[in-house]
Amino acid sequence: MEEGRNQNVRLGGVAATGAAVECEVLVVGGGSTGVGVARDAAMRGFSTVLVERGDLATGTTGRFHGLLHSGGRYCVKDPQAARECIAENVVLRRIAADCIEDTGGLFVTTPIDDPDYADRFVAGCQATGIPVEEIPVAEALRREPRLNPRISRALVVPDATADAWKTVWTCARSAMEYGAKILPYHEVIAVTKDGDQVTGVIARGQDGAEVQIRAQVTVNASGAWAGRIAAMADCKVQISPGKGIMIATNHRLVQTVVNRCVMPADGDILVPIRTVSVIGTTDITVDDPDDWAITRTEINQMLESGENLVPGFTSSRAMRVWGGVRPLFQDHAPAESRDVTRAHAVLDHRARDGVGGFLTITGGKFCTFRLMAQDAVDAAGKVLGVTRPCRTADEPLPDSQERRFYQLSSRLAEREQTLLDEQLICECELVRRGRLEDEAARRPAPSLDDLRRAVRLGMGPCQGGFCMYRATGILHQTKHLSGAEADRALLAFLEERWKGYYPLLHGDQLRQAWLDNWIFQGVLDVQHLPLADQPRQQETATGQAT
Amino acid sequence: MNGPPGARYPDVIVLGAGLSGLVAAIRLAEAGLRVVTVAKGYGSMRLSPATIDILGYRPDPVDSPAQALPGFAAAHPEHPYALIGPDTLADSVQWLKEHVGTYAYVGDPGENMLLPTAIGVPRPSAVAPETMAGGDVRRAGPLLIAGLGVLKDFHPSIAAENLQAATTAYGRAVQARPVMLHPSANGPADVNSLGLARQFEDGAFRSAVAAELRAAVRGEETIGLPAVLGMDQARSVWTELQQAVGRPVFEIPTAVPPSVPGMRLARALQDRLRRAGGRFVFGAQAVGPELRNGKLAGVRIRSAARVTPRMCRWVVLATGGLGAGGIEVDLSGAVSEHSLGLPVHAPGPGETGFLPGYLSDHPMDTAGLRVDHTLRPVGPDGEPVYPNAYAAGAVIGGARPWREKSGDGISLSTGYLAADAILKEAG
Repeated sequence: MEEGRNQNVRLGGVAATGAAVECEVLVVGGGSTGVGVARDAAMRGFSTVLVERGDLATGTTGRFHGLLHSGGRYCVKDPQAARECIAENVVLRRIAADCIEDTGGLFVTTPIDDPDYADRFVAGCQATGIPVEEIPVAEALRREPRLNPRISRALVVPDATADAWKTVWTCARSAMEYGAKILPYHEVIAVTKDGDQVTGVIARGQDGAEVQIRAQVTVNASGAWAGRIAAMADCKVQISPGKGIMIATNHRLVQTVVNRCVMPADGDILVPIRTVSVIGTTDITVDDPDDWAITRTEINQMLESGENLVPGFTSSRAMRVWGGVRPLFQDHAPAESRDVTRAHAVLDHRARDGVGGFLTITGGKFCTFRLMAQDAVDAAGKVLGVTRPCRTADEPLPDSQERRFYQLSSRLAEREQTLLDEQLICECELVRRGRLEDEAARRPAPSLDDLRRAVRLGMGPCQGGFCMYRATGILHQTKHLSGAEADRALLAFLEERWKGYYPLLHGDQLRQAWLDNWIFQGVLDVQHLPLADQPRQQETATGQAT
Repeated sequence: MNGPPGARYPDVIVLGAGLSGLVAAIRLAEAGLRVVTVAKGYGSMRLSPATIDILGYRPDPVDSPAQALPGFAAAHPEHPYALIGPDTLADSVQWLKEHVGTYAYVGDPGENMLLPTAIGVPRPSAVAPETMAGGDVRRAGPLLIAGLGVLKDFHPSIAAENLQAATTAYGRAVQARPVMLHPSANGPADVNSLGLARQFEDGAFRSAVAAELRAAVRGEETIGLPAVLGMDQARSVWTELQQAVGRPVFEIPTAVPPSVPGMRLARALQDRLRRAGGRFVFGAQAVGPELRNGKLAGVRIRSAARVTPRMCRWVVLATGGLGAGGIEVDLSGAVSEHSLGLPVHAPGPGETGFLPGYLSDHPMDTAGLRVDHTLRPVGPDGEPVYPNAYAAGAVIGGARPWREKSGDGISLSTGYLAADAILKEAG
């Protein structure tokens, strides 16, 4: 289904009390891994709390291309990762169908690729258990008419696409139904210890208030940030953050995931997800997962790689560019980022660093998040001295019980039902007013960027030009935002969106940006919003809308 | 696309149907020249709130554009206003007021009004439709900001709160409160500004709105409504509504296209041009100069997948800036002008066009043509590229229109001046 029922879940309740929180399992990190751990732990009956410094799925999870790997990409280079991918691909199709579009995948040998790799690829797939079938080039071109007509081989594998946000939100909802507490916008500022035993964390909420969370076992699931959290407990975890950039075009150029049939390289995957195509990706080791830039050179390289897969790609409308940092784990000195295994590891810091009650789950990929969670909760159970079986491989996520895959056309079907009865706030992504209001109601102080991820508001070609004034006005009118919060939320959104497209602005998207500038700066004059600079204390005094 | 019967080709081809192109075309046609306007689309005026903003910020708020302009021009020698004298600007404003028919404009370059936007910022405009001028918060008493439940492009609650805060900061607090109207209970939930403008031309609908407003308004309040009060009959719709409610009413431009006031202005000017004998070719795009012996003898026009040379004596290039497509940026970052292939002053490939902050002064903002004192585009040597090609409006670089609130003043005055220059040559 299009929208899920995540609006039944209200987030962030605990912070308001300011009181200490007790639990058995504390998860640090609200990406796919962390939320997976929280759900698994809660399903096994452990009292569970999750803290995340921002909104859920805003680190690496919400910043990937959406490819649910078959494992084909790794079958030659990293067979262990490939085996995990195909096993989890099958599991996720079973338990998270509503988050997955069954696009299928193609590996194609383009004119610049080693023609012999395809044979190694087939052998690799067979060795790792990935179903693979070679089809004639003409058949591949029939299925995907935009593909480079000069491809020489085409191999079909069970790749698919997954909506990362939907997956994480649905997992979080399931975790909460099993009793877990999910606390987004709670940044860990200290890991507390009693001797050599980790006893929990102190987290700071959005309002600046600190909350003490005591746990019998703390699971560090902070991905690329795992080294930082581990250091707070005087443990050493060596993560080499691998930056990858992706570019979304304004419509779907292909309907199947298309991979170049080569050893993993830059710009060799084209993923049709929701209404767009995403080309990815690069892999560059960075020092700080919070501090890196996207260069024009990288962007041009990515667009030109697209040209090799789909001729004319460089003249399609490139809408937005973003990057994510992979949590590549290694025990030794960093090597080339692409050479680090994609497989994951659970680290028990009792054995490694002499620190008890503290685990780190790291490495891995979105596709293997469930397996990672299972391994982490198994390890947590050992620390707690309790063995309970994992059920996440069999119990479907909410909305996925019918095991029906997501279909792009379902959004139109849903819209048709309310065509005359409800306003459409975002025409690009067909976001209904009720959907926006419901989502806002679940959050203590919704940011427009959170709502963008939650309901895909402003994700389409106009990048919020038409819907953001509407959303700001509606959230103010319905008292989800005070005047000052509304002014700040709009400006924050405009800044965030600008970051996503200024490095690649050219052609039609630049014209769109100019129209948006005209709307916000020319017509509305947002540069002079009177309440944007109002101090936050004053705002609370005038009564914060909830 | 020949001129009047007997003429082999028009005197002037105007490229673009926005404010600057229409102003130039009307002036030329009314002076007796044969004018053909060639436009790719219907012109950007349909996106515009239709106020004539001359200079609002430099970046401090400007009270009087007329007084501020000489200093502003001296401080920005590459700005189009450095070529426009105060008299030309005043003449062009007067000319516009005389050419918009019943869609009357008020105000002059001597002082800025502060007119509320749909998010409640008092925005400086020197000249505006009379239907909007009543919102000038320098003079207005308490305000009732009224939205329509079916219109998602106007939200009175945020507008009222911001307006009250902004006027308080200016030192003249204006009380403002919101109300939401629901005049037609059974219609569709989602009606855009144009649909509402048509409904407002229906007397029964207007009566229903007036009844709700009468019930809501208190004391001396002035009523602000979204700018959807009729299309062709805007003046009578506005007048009747005020009479029916018994309080002054003013319009606030909506945020998102289509802009009803922009459509009214575009229609008024296009009608004027047709009446003066000007002709339109829509859906056609200039793709390069037509040269004879190295001289500009016409324009190559692409229409329906065919390129045809169209001859003329003068060309007015009013194709707009980066937003309208008059200036384009390609993947490599190269900036170009395609209608006549003129050199553009802009950051080149490899140079910084955009900065990371949304509201920064981006080098690319001022991209556009450089022109001489009669608005002829010049090359790197400062000499006109063609003696018979003139530029008007946003295709001329050097301004930051939405930041300065200067775009309409630039378009109006350069369109006016370009026509002047051609008329002088035509004798």
